[in-house]
Amino acid sequence: MSWRLTLKIHRWQPGDRAPYYDHFTVEVPEEAYVLDAIEKVWAEQDRSLAFRHACHHASCGSCGLRVNGREKLPCITPVTDYPNGSTIQIDPLRHFPLVRDLVVDMGPFSQAMEAVRFSIIRHASEGVPDARSSEPPILPEEDHEATRFENCLECGLCVSACPIAGSALNYLGPAALAAAERMLVEPRGVDPLAVWEAIDHDDGLWRCHGAFECSAACPSEVDPAAAIMRLRRYGPKVGQVARQQRR
Amino acid sequence: MPNADKGRVPAERSRRVSRWFDPRGIAPGQLAFVLHRITGLGLVFYLYLHLAVLSLLARGPEAWDRFIDLAKTTPILILDVVLIFGLLFHALNGLRLTLVSLNMGVRRQTALFWGAALVTVVLTAVAGWMIFRM
Amino acid sequence: MGGGGPHVVVVGAGSTGAAIAHDLALRGFAVTVVERGEVGSGTTGRNHGLLHSGARYAVTDPVAARECIEENLILRKIMPEGLELNGGYFIALTPEDMDFRQTFLEGCEAAGIPTRELTKEQLLRMEPRLSPKILGGVMVPDGVFEPYRFCLSFLASAQARGARVLTYHEVEGVLVEGGRTRGVQVRDRIRGRELTITADAVVNAAGPWAAKVAATAGCRVPLILAPGVMIAVGVRYSHRVVNRLAPPGDGDIIVPQRFTSMIGTTSWTVQDADLIPIPPDHVERMMDAGEAFFPGFRRQPKRGVFAVARPLVGPEEDQAEGEGFERAVTRDFACKHHEAEGAAGLFSVTGGKTTTSRLMAEAVVDQVGRWLGFERPCQTRTEVLLPPRRFFTERVVS
Ligand SMILES: Cc1cc2nc3c(=O)[nH]c(=O)nc-3n(C[C@H](O)[C@H](O)[C@H](O)COP(=O)(O)OP(=O)(O)OC[C@H]3O[C@@H](n4cnc5c(N)ncnc54)[C@H](O)[C@@H]3O)c2cc1C
Ligand code: SF4
Repeated sequence: MSWRLTLKIHRWQPGDRAPYYDHFTVEVPEEAYVLDAIEKVWAEQDRSLAFRHACHHASCGSCGLRVNGREKLPCITPVTDYPNGSTIQIDPLRHFPLVRDLVVDMGPFSQAMEAVRFSIIRHASEGVPDARSSEPPILPEEDHEATRFENCLECGLCVSACPIAGSALNYLGPAALAAAERMLVEPRGVDPLAVWEAIDHDDGLWRCHGAFECSAACPSEVDPAAAIMRLRRYGPKVGQVARQQRR
Repeated sequence: MPNADKGRVPAERSRRVSRWFDPRGIAPGQLAFVLHRITGLGLVFYLYLHLAVLSLLARGPEAWDRFIDLAKTTPILILDVVLIFGLLFHALNGLRLTLVSLNMGVRRQTALFWGAALVTVVLTAVAGWMIFRM
Repeated sequence: MGGGGPHVVVVGAGSTGAAIAHDLALRGFAVTVVERGEVGSGTTGRNHGLLHSGARYAVTDPVAARECIEENLILRKIMPEGLELNGGYFIALTPEDMDFRQTFLEGCEAAGIPTRELTKEQLLRMEPRLSPKILGGVMVPDGVFEPYRFCLSFLASAQARGARVLTYHEVEGVLVEGGRTRGVQVRDRIRGRELTITADAVVNAAGPWAAKVAATAGCRVPLILAPGVMIAVGVRYSHRVVNRLAPPGDGDIIVPQRFTSMIGTTSWTVQDADLIPIPPDHVERMMDAGEAFFPGFRRQPKRGVFAVARPLVGPEEDQAEGEGFERAVTRDFACKHHEAEGAAGLFSVTGGKTTTSRLMAEAVVDQVGRWLGFERPCQTRTEVLLPPRRFFTERVVS
């Protein structure tokens, strides 16, 4: 069976005074995802539509946007989440500089991730101190500790969902704070004090007001809100220890 | 020319406090967040109102008696119930936020919210009953 | 911009274009990358993410196998922020698979791919979710990359050396004047306007669209578009990559990544790569193939189903025509200089793999440099790449 949706898509290009919406009706197989529907609009109806996408399986984190106001990765959002024949509204992520249509600039977000020195290779299991202490062997032994990518896709959905990111221009945001927690748990050669200092200020760890929208939006099991609360509990101690060690 | 010609929608240029009240959040956390802000503002407003009312005392007994008569009318009594609701919710949710920020009950923050909401509603009902029974 | 060298425009920011941009920038060329969409939005982004050890090709294509292992070992050093390096297995499911093992081990040995034989018991200990019906296997140095970040790393490094990366800019035509390539006509898809970018040479790395780009200059690129279907599920079944110990076939590779596993792939051919419909029977086949390795696979909710076209090097006829068709380094990759077709300075690159993109870039830039008389030694073997995120933090132009 095929699925018919009308996409009400946010349009804007530099020079436009205000954004507007275009409506496109597409028919896709019912196994398709919202991203497939958007790509079909581009391929068959409007070549000028700009949207971000690369991996189509929630690994690159580039396609984040809002469907009916909610933050989604359209690549893993089945079209059947919305009734056949319905209209869905597609908007870009909020709190990001807009480049065009659905494309946002990941610059400020990436800067926050850099500020906490986020490194994306971690140990596969929890509680192993350091994934980077040694170079991985070419052929790992049976008991070799496996490494893997961090859960965070750097998609920015959490920042778009966060009401505080909407009002505080310089707030580091949920993803960077969750990343900082990972770096403090498993420093991988990074100075923990530098990580702590990057978040221990008004626009960092202490700006969060606990709306928990980030964790509701996150598509990749990060649960940034919980990470922020853990940081509030244990972070100051970690910072203190790191400071003493440096002395 | 870094970022020089990067476009932005006018609305995105400044971040606005109005975004706090975006009610689209499905998560109870957002509902709690919005209610917390509304009740907080309400309480601040009430505090100044309260000071204004108290200042009537300086104007003599007649002014005060007139106010007491007004305070006993139904619309004002309803506002009293609203005030109690706001006060209770803000206090209880404040406790929830304090707990959560100390990393206690983070995983149960949704349940804590519903708990706070439930206690708020029950106590408001009791208070309302007492106010109108008088 | 750049190191004062000639200006080269690279069309396409997939793994091929990204690696070429990095190599060019490192050798002192002035570089502009023109990509019509997001980085990696063509074939690369949607690939399997397998950092080949070469073992997959050890029996069928020894040249490709050798290139893969060499590049695999180089990438481990230059891409510290982008690889899950846990190794991989070739696992036998049937007695025929076990019979294939000897041939396989010999192929790996000849290509220089290290191997270690594993018993069924060892495998089940290391990967408890494997089907108890497996018979045995071999460990190889496979790895996992993230295609998007793979490209971003190369582009970030190129940018740091002055390269301009114009995303959402589509090449509408290659400009040729008096038999020489002068640059490209570009549509700025952000602002909706046209612009001309002049260049001393143009490298067409548009993947499945390379033939279309070359056609604007009246040139031909022999290309076969062979898509494959892939499916991701939200369970990580193994620490390491799982391949079927058999000659290459459908659904014989499962790549784990984060908390997911991705199975692929199939192969058929299409005419247009813009929108590839997914054949439902391919999806069924993949899920069954996954079930054979990991009981329960078929019942997992899917986390993405997608297909994308391999830009394979087309029929050999071109070579016979002797139009400067250069089969550089490898059998599955070609760099064609369109000089004989009246577009000197236009180079089309097709084929290859993401794993070998650095090597392809080296060969292409050697060829471009030779033609432009700007020959510098390649340095990409040892130059450590910047973390992918730096692409966004150090953006020169939006
Ligand atoms: C199903 C499948 C699985 C694969 N798995 C693996 C694997 O596991 N490991 C591995 O190493 N390799 C794998 N490969 C091979 C690998 O993905 C490709 O060889 C490689 O991605 C090709 O990259 P490319 O840069 O040449 O092409 P592309 O990635 O397609 O890049 C071309 C770019 O050019 C852009 N473009 C097109 N037209 C224009 C224009 N007019 N103007 C501007 N830009 C334009 C496109 O948007 C695109 O981004 C796989 C391939 C397939 C199909
Ligand atoms: S924390 Fe989750 S929502 Fe935020 S950027 Fe990372 S993956 Fe995306």
